[in-house]
Amino acid sequence: MSEKPILTDEQLIAAFQAGDEHAFVELVDRYKDRLVNFVYRFLHDMTDAEDMVQETFLKVYKNKHAYREIAKFSTWIYTIAGNLARSELRKRKRRKTYTMSDLSFDDNEFTPVDPGKGTEAIVFNSYAGEEIMKAIYALPEPFQTIIILRDIQELSYEHISTILDIPMGTVKSRVNRARLKLQETLSYLKE
Amino acid sequence: MQNTDCAYICEQFTEYQENSLPSEIRAKVDAHLASCSSCREIFQSLSGVLETLHNLPSVKATTDFTSTLLSRIDTLNQETTWQRIYHSSYSKVAGYAIAAGLIVAIGINILIDPISSMKPGLKSNFAVEQTNQIQSDESLAEITDSSASHAADSLTLQNATINSQNQSVQLVSGKK
Ligand SMILES: [Zn+2]
Repeated sequence: MSEKPILTDEQLIAAFQAGDEHAFVELVDRYKDRLVNFVYRFLHDMTDAEDMVQETFLKVYKNKHAYREIAKFSTWIYTIAGNLARSELRKRKRRKTYTMSDLSFDDNEFTPVDPGKGTEAIVFNSYAGEEIMKAIYALPEPFQTIIILRDIQELSYEHISTILDIPMGTVKSRVNRARLKLQETLSYLKE
Repeated sequence: MQNTDCAYICEQFTEYQENSLPSEIRAKVDAHLASCSSCREIFQSLSGVLETLHNLPSVKATTDFTSTLLSRIDTLNQETTWQRIYHSSYSKVAGYAIAAGLIVAIGINILIDPISSMKPGLKSNFAVEQTNQIQSDESLAEITDSSASHAADSLTLQNATINSQNQSVQLVSGKK
């Protein structure tokens, strides 16, 4: 066993496409934790997150030939998982009415907090992980996705740029806006 | 209070933290943060948020994740196998039923009205109706072909057809 060379993800999916089911299991082992962590940040519920990641792998299993070697395997699977998580979230948000009135703005409408008022009330460095997770959950989708990819999964700008199919420069500016939005949301939640 | 300045400075925060700003912009941010307490507070708060965020304990899949997944895949594979078997036997049975119905029905048609039964338009309408009644796409072409060749045979089988007329009407209308 220890003699076996470590195969890349792309080699494993190629082997699976050629009919090797063990290669699929190896990919599941490599990605299950990462993906559960990823999807959990969207859905904020462990059972749902696991379900969604199971769906992700089932999709990979059923549509193995949809993968083409032009993309990294991780990009492909993150895209599938992210799409599933976000559409589940949209379903949920349609069902729920949010109490926060400012959740309707979209990606383009971000304005920094007016520095003239309110900011004094922020208590520095005292946000608990749980509060931050709630704030991420409450963020509008584009902000939420970018925060999770960048600040939780810690993917590179380049990788995020392929997953979301937007230019690198846009990724960077969205990361910045999303972080400010998160910080702003936290200060609202705090009040 | 220069609001535009503040907005511009806030836009630089990520790259400022990553040390990837061109030095002249970095100097601008430094200078602004030194003089503007509001931006400084936002920046400090943001840094705290990011620190917590980057140190969040990650969650993991439960231990039976893989076994649950693999058994779901087994179920899926069984289902698709059974679906294949079911589909192929279903269309065979349906195909035989249509074929029998067509042969008999064409026989009746010829008996009652030999001329109109030979009009291709009517015949294909009938075939379409049959298809709508029973969803058996792939067998249709074969059946129409074989029923055409059977049409000649059915003329010689007129007597037998008359005898089975009631039965065959039931057969055809029973498929509605
Ligand atoms: Zn300022």
